[in-house]
Amino acid sequence: MIDTLEQTPTLREWIEAGPGDYVNGHATPFAALRARARTAFDHLGIPTRKDEAWKYTNIEKALRHDYALLDSDATPIVDASDVADYRIDGLDAYTLVVVNGTVVPELSDTDGLPAGVHIGSLREAATSHADVVERHLGQYADVESEAFIALNTASDLNGVFLQIDKSVTLERPIQIVHVTNTDEDAFVQTRNLYLFGENSEALVVETYHSASDVKTFGNRVSEVVVERAARINLLQLQTEGDNASQVNTLQIEQDAASYFAAHTYTLGGALVRNNVNAVPNAEGCETHLYGLYILDGEQHVDNHTLVDHAKPNCFSNELYRGIVDGRSTGVFNGKVFVRRDAQQTNAYQSSQGVVLSDDASHHSKPELEIYADDVKCSHGSTTGEVEPEHVFYLRSRGLSEQQAKSLLLYAFAHDIVTELPHEALRTYLDALIEDRLNAQLLG
Amino acid sequence: MPTYTEHDLIADIEKEEGGYKYGFVTETDADTIPKGLSEEVVRLISEKKGEPEWMLEWRLKAYRHVLTLLEDDEHYPRWAHLDYTEPDFQAISYYSAPGKKPKYNSLDEVDPELLETFERLGISLMEQKRLVGIEDKETMPVAVDVVMDSVSVATTFKEELAKQGIIFCSMGEAIENHPDLVREYIGSVVPYTDNFYAALNSAVFSDGSFCYIPKGVRCPMELSTYFRINAAGTGQFERTLIVCEDGGYVSYLEGCTAPMRDENQLHAAVVEIIAKEDAEVKYSTIQNWYPGNDEGVGGVYNFVTKRGICEGKRSKISWTQLETGSAVTWKYPSVILKGDDSVGEFYSVAFTKGAQQADTGTKMIHLGKRTKSTIISKGVSAGTSNNSYRGLVKINKKAEGARNFSQCDSLLLGDKCGAHTFPYIEINNSTAKVEHEATTSKVGEDQMFYCMQRGISEQDALNLIVNGFAKQILAKLPMEFAVEAQKLLSIQLEGSVG
Repeated sequence: MIDTLEQTPTLREWIEAGPGDYVNGHATPFAALRARARTAFDHLGIPTRKDEAWKYTNIEKALRHDYALLDSDATPIVDASDVADYRIDGLDAYTLVVVNGTVVPELSDTDGLPAGVHIGSLREAATSHADVVERHLGQYADVESEAFIALNTASDLNGVFLQIDKSVTLERPIQIVHVTNTDEDAFVQTRNLYLFGENSEALVVETYHSASDVKTFGNRVSEVVVERAARINLLQLQTEGDNASQVNTLQIEQDAASYFAAHTYTLGGALVRNNVNAVPNAEGCETHLYGLYILDGEQHVDNHTLVDHAKPNCFSNELYRGIVDGRSTGVFNGKVFVRRDAQQTNAYQSSQGVVLSDDASHHSKPELEIYADDVKCSHGSTTGEVEPEHVFYLRSRGLSEQQAKSLLLYAFAHDIVTELPHEALRTYLDALIEDRLNAQLLG
Repeated sequence: MPTYTEHDLIADIEKEEGGYKYGFVTETDADTIPKGLSEEVVRLISEKKGEPEWMLEWRLKAYRHVLTLLEDDEHYPRWAHLDYTEPDFQAISYYSAPGKKPKYNSLDEVDPELLETFERLGISLMEQKRLVGIEDKETMPVAVDVVMDSVSVATTFKEELAKQGIIFCSMGEAIENHPDLVREYIGSVVPYTDNFYAALNSAVFSDGSFCYIPKGVRCPMELSTYFRINAAGTGQFERTLIVCEDGGYVSYLEGCTAPMRDENQLHAAVVEIIAKEDAEVKYSTIQNWYPGNDEGVGGVYNFVTKRGICEGKRSKISWTQLETGSAVTWKYPSVILKGDDSVGEFYSVAFTKGAQQADTGTKMIHLGKRTKSTIISKGVSAGTSNNSYRGLVKINKKAEGARNFSQCDSLLLGDKCGAHTFPYIEINNSTAKVEHEATTSKVGEDQMFYCMQRGISEQDALNLIVNGFAKQILAKLPMEFAVEAQKLLSIQLEGSVG
């Protein structure tokens, strides 16, 4: 047994220690859930490439590195000027800053939030909003199903708690700035719980940043509850450095006639795995999953999505696009699951990859698993190079080959950006993508 | 308003009158060895077939590999979307040959039981005559190598083919008469280490067909083989090897029906195809083994490894299949596109009903430059069946300008069945162009309405639509087979009338 209060164990030490050893010694306030998760994790273990869901990502190898388990209670060393750089220009958002998984109110700016909106630390909410947290936390992200959910749930459980009451419309978006800052190679776990009340409307933007150059590995789990007729957009923008890896799980539960759109952008990071699982669990739901990844160097990004149609009369649409260059690897593995009762389901899925280098790889595995007959489901997947005819057209108009490619790829990526419901956000992302492509192609 | 709805139709399909049409047992004396798998059994099979030493050695190597796989709990392929009990490999008899092995000279000498079987299989009288060597110059010739319970009973047209240098015979004869060819190519495309069932097949394969097309020869007729599983509890382990030299062409047909059985019969065949420069091989299959009853009792386990290699430049391998039978199907005819500009094709219709389960698809491995592949897969599910497409398209780093198009469509008849698509697309070259699309839906109400308002009855309309759905694939079958294929598909939908 390691004395977890005295010294921070490494991830491996923690895993080897076996059940009953909670990270940082905090066994409350979610003791029962955490104990169950720990048992589940010990049963599941770190997945290997033999697990079908991890076929293209060797996560076990990535975790062999000796990461320290980061103590989220340690005083963060991030100041206001750093955070200013992370704010998205023109977004005019309420800002919540989270350093190493802990909410830092001093750096945040949530003034003027309308009544009925609560945003803050999950650990504090466990006391202040005890019954709500109790009712929802761990109810959707199943610890038995996935090792990283179990690992996250077994840990300290700190992160963001957001609750929007019935019929509240947020006029301004919320930006949640996640910063990882540590001196030692560290394993950072964050847990978020977002509750969107009936008929509410909001745009939430999560941005991820690394403030230091040491190797970090994030294991993030967000549970999102979208109640009846709520209309929610959630953007996750991953622009961390080459030493930052993460497994990011987004678990969405939708009630009747709700609208939810996830926008997942991966422009940075070393190894990134995104698990986006949506469960439209009542009639009349609309679910959109959009994804964009632009990779270079040694980057490895694996987008794993599941739309689990459990109830009739729902609509889901999925569009993922990726550009892989250098020695990078892009993976798209999306599954549409239509259960026996989910008649009248309309589900669409499209994934497209562009491979720019012979050393880069792109794997896609779009799956349909259908048990209801009165459905319309389809998927399409294409992988290829930049169309030579298109390049020729632009070159005949005076663009260089690299300029032509950059422009065509910008247009390819822009189709994902247009799905965002905020002008300033679109402008910001377009510029980010353009810079990225120009740097990559025009050097 | 019509009272006969799609649901009635499905109910009818499920309780299809008369049951399995091709379910019958031929009472031929069978020479069966005791159940179980052991080195003695492998040696006995080899001895019974009078095989040379090298063949026995190869079998034993495969057998030892099976043993190591059996020791390891991970040995058994469980990744498929299938739910069944793993066969007891010690409860299977690994060899069965018809007791009499006559050389037929006239029709009278032929066992009437066998002729009866041919008839019910739909082999025309003329072909039956050919089988026993009676000249008949009418109609298109089809050479049939009948495999009944693993041993080739008769081979026709051998002489005619031999004039062109084509070798078409049973594997046993090939091992005896053309050992160099067999030794060179057997296991070169599907090594015994490939998977558990390939290993098992390599150790205990009973017979199969061998086909060799010499350089520049276009095989003048469709070569066809009927596989049947006959003796109760006998696994059928055929091994087919097709070698097509530079510029050769062959179209090979394989069709199967099986007698009704209550215990699960295991069928684990291996098919290997080698296509050299400018060669083309077309391999067509109709599979209609006993699928078990509606509760899923009985039926054939069909675990097949089929793979071809386009070794030479501009070579082509095409797989076409109509899968309507078997309780459990596990089958992925693949093409390794090694030669530059080589072409691989996969056309498939899989129909499942009752409690059938199918996990089938293909693998296209692009190694050579400008290689092309096309995959068109149509699945129809009814009853409580599950029908999965699982396919891999892999473009290797050096496969410049490779091209693939895949299309997988599924049709659902009823709300208790499942249709699934699991494509794997792995691209390692920037000039590759790969497209995949899949759709799943039920029969369109607008299509039904259109047919019916023109006076077509509801069940005929459904037949029409399902046949139209599959037509693209059925049209790829050689003419002789297309007829049988359509017949089979309509039998599957037959119970709907009335």
